[in-house]
Amino acid sequence: MLVVDLIKQEWRKSFRSQGFYKNLAVSIMLGFFTLYIAAILLVIGFSLTKVLEKADNVLTPLELFEGAMLYMMLFGLALRFVMQQLNTFDLPPYQVLPIKRSTLINFLLLKPLFSPANYFLLLTIIPFAIKGVATYYSGSVALRFVLSFILMVWFNSLTAAYLKRKFGSNLLSIVVLFAILTGVAALEYFKIFSLFSFSKMLYSFFIFRAFGLWFPLGLVIAAFFLNKWFFHQNYYPEKFNSKIRGNKTSTTELSFLKRFGVIGELISMEIKLILRHKRPKSTLMVSGFFVFYGLMFYTNDVYAKSNGMLFFVAMFMTGILMLMFGQWLISWDSRHFDSLMTRNIPIKTYMLANYYLMIAFNIICFAVTTPYFYFGMKIVYLHLSAFLFNVGVNIYLLMYLSTYNNKRIDLSKSSAMNYQGTTYKSFLIVFPIMFLPMLIVWTLSTFFSLAVALWTLSIIGLTGILLRKPLINACVNQFNRRKYKLAEGFRESA
Amino acid sequence: MIQVTDLQKTYNGISVLNISNLSVSKGESFGLVGNNGAGKTTFFRLILDLIEPTTGEVLIENQPVVRNDEWKSITGSFLDEGFLIDFMTTEEYFSFVGKLYHKSEGDMTLFLESMKDFFNEEILGSKKLIRDFSKGNQKKIGIAAALIGDPKILILDEPFTALDPSSQIRLKRFLTDLQTRLNMTMLISSHDLNHVTEVCKRIVVLEKGKIVKDLNTNADTLKELESYFAV
Repeated sequence: MLVVDLIKQEWRKSFRSQGFYKNLAVSIMLGFFTLYIAAILLVIGFSLTKVLEKADNVLTPLELFEGAMLYMMLFGLALRFVMQQLNTFDLPPYQVLPIKRSTLINFLLLKPLFSPANYFLLLTIIPFAIKGVATYYSGSVALRFVLSFILMVWFNSLTAAYLKRKFGSNLLSIVVLFAILTGVAALEYFKIFSLFSFSKMLYSFFIFRAFGLWFPLGLVIAAFFLNKWFFHQNYYPEKFNSKIRGNKTSTTELSFLKRFGVIGELISMEIKLILRHKRPKSTLMVSGFFVFYGLMFYTNDVYAKSNGMLFFVAMFMTGILMLMFGQWLISWDSRHFDSLMTRNIPIKTYMLANYYLMIAFNIICFAVTTPYFYFGMKIVYLHLSAFLFNVGVNIYLLMYLSTYNNKRIDLSKSSAMNYQGTTYKSFLIVFPIMFLPMLIVWTLSTFFSLAVALWTLSIIGLTGILLRKPLINACVNQFNRRKYKLAEGFRESA
Repeated sequence: MIQVTDLQKTYNGISVLNISNLSVSKGESFGLVGNNGAGKTTFFRLILDLIEPTTGEVLIENQPVVRNDEWKSITGSFLDEGFLIDFMTTEEYFSFVGKLYHKSEGDMTLFLESMKDFFNEEILGSKKLIRDFSKGNQKKIGIAAALIGDPKILILDEPFTALDPSSQIRLKRFLTDLQTRLNMTMLISSHDLNHVTEVCKRIVVLEKGKIVKDLNTNADTLKELESYFAV
């Protein structure tokens, strides 16, 4: 079958890409990470039955799970809408070959269903089905439960792809999506409409009735044909790429930056770079989500006592943009690096532009996280000293260490699960920046007090700000030393 | 203007460029020809300080280019798409480069006016990003951007490829005009022997990283080159 051949070719593409073997260290680290997540999911799967038994006396674990199914579906859909990458397999080279259109479209649609990431959650579902379903009911019910879950995954994958192709992953559609989600949750909370009981009813029907499973299967097929219909309407890449290629580039000038001469020009260039490419844009969005990190930690009594952890969270949030972008500070310019190096831009000016951009990032993050001050003066002090430490120390570390990242980055790929440009060095960069200050706070606040710890870090930060000139010069010299390595690395397309 | 001494570049022990002595004087139009892999682009990258020489050095106006920012203010160059910032519109890009060379908006309007003929009304005024232009038009944008800032030295790698015939003829006329009017020093590499002998007064042939011929262009140069490259 031709579709199988095409899938094989895609596999080859990923195994033969140059990055695959070169980045062995990263692959191994990601491998460990995957194993870690897998282990967690398995543990959840085995303990879920007990947890659900305790959670409610009336309903069985399966009934509780059924009630959660539609929520999981909606949440999964939202998550996929943000994270799932559209199958951007290059149509044009295949369009000219004698392959039937429908074959190509089938391939485009079905390929994501073969991605192992889809079935990761089965690590939780199958143990639960054995312990929580088979023991209560029967083996066949457990099997049908698992099947209904797989059908939900397929439905989600296909529907998310359709929605994404149709509406694009711009900010507006994400806002609409989350509005729907909160709306549903609110209806449940105010007991106007219970999605929980509806979901329970629906899934009981799917799982216990003889022909119940035909219905979700029908939905999957409907979603599949919805996608097909979309491609039937928009087969030519120029048509469904119209959103991407559209000439409606907003050319709003950041005129206030003009006053800052060449540095201002460079900063406005970087801002355009961020706003006009998929990867930095989604990095920006992910950073937006991380700002809510504090809600998890500041409200939790377990963490309230662990000062090191709190400082880590404060530093993470007040520096999220800098940390996210700073790692690849220079790599972002990899595509036009030659241009920047041969134009009339002294290296020092270039580095200063990067410096001020990161200062601006820090100020923005600090301002955005000020609502957390509501949680008390302790948070104010934490954020202030974290800000000073970020601006006075981490900024130089990032500028210095990012010169070691000499992998080219393709800006038009999404950032979710994108490890291009990631080398073991990226991990090495993060460690001193994130964990060293955490360690300092932990030690000093255990042996002295939190105030001593925060004052120490603030003073280190302030010293760093005062020693700006020599420190930036050190970064410039470092850049000059690494320049040829960077230029060479960036020219190699990954 | 440009002085090259004992310049060598080796990768893993294999020498890709080895020029013991070469100087380009002010106002000279210097054509570089050679087959693929002869070291033309490597040579240009060494002049532009994008790769580090294994030995030797390049001087521009008696200053070494290595880790120096001085030469950047008098040099305009376009080697490949990496010299463009392709997520900008053409206007944004030109004004960005203009700012780097401290050009006023009036200067830029004049400059774009002078480019009108070369652009053939395809480049300006369409809010298109540079990455959405065809290769040929990208090349035109790159060459034009290299000229912003009135460089004393212009370095172009294969400027004629990917251009349509009319644009090739316009470019030739344009380059000759820059030589006579501004006495601009030019380094141009090309696979097209016709074009390069028309534009350049001096032709250097590279083979396997070494200079094998250094000719002043005259009526017989084209024939000599053609017989040299004949297989």
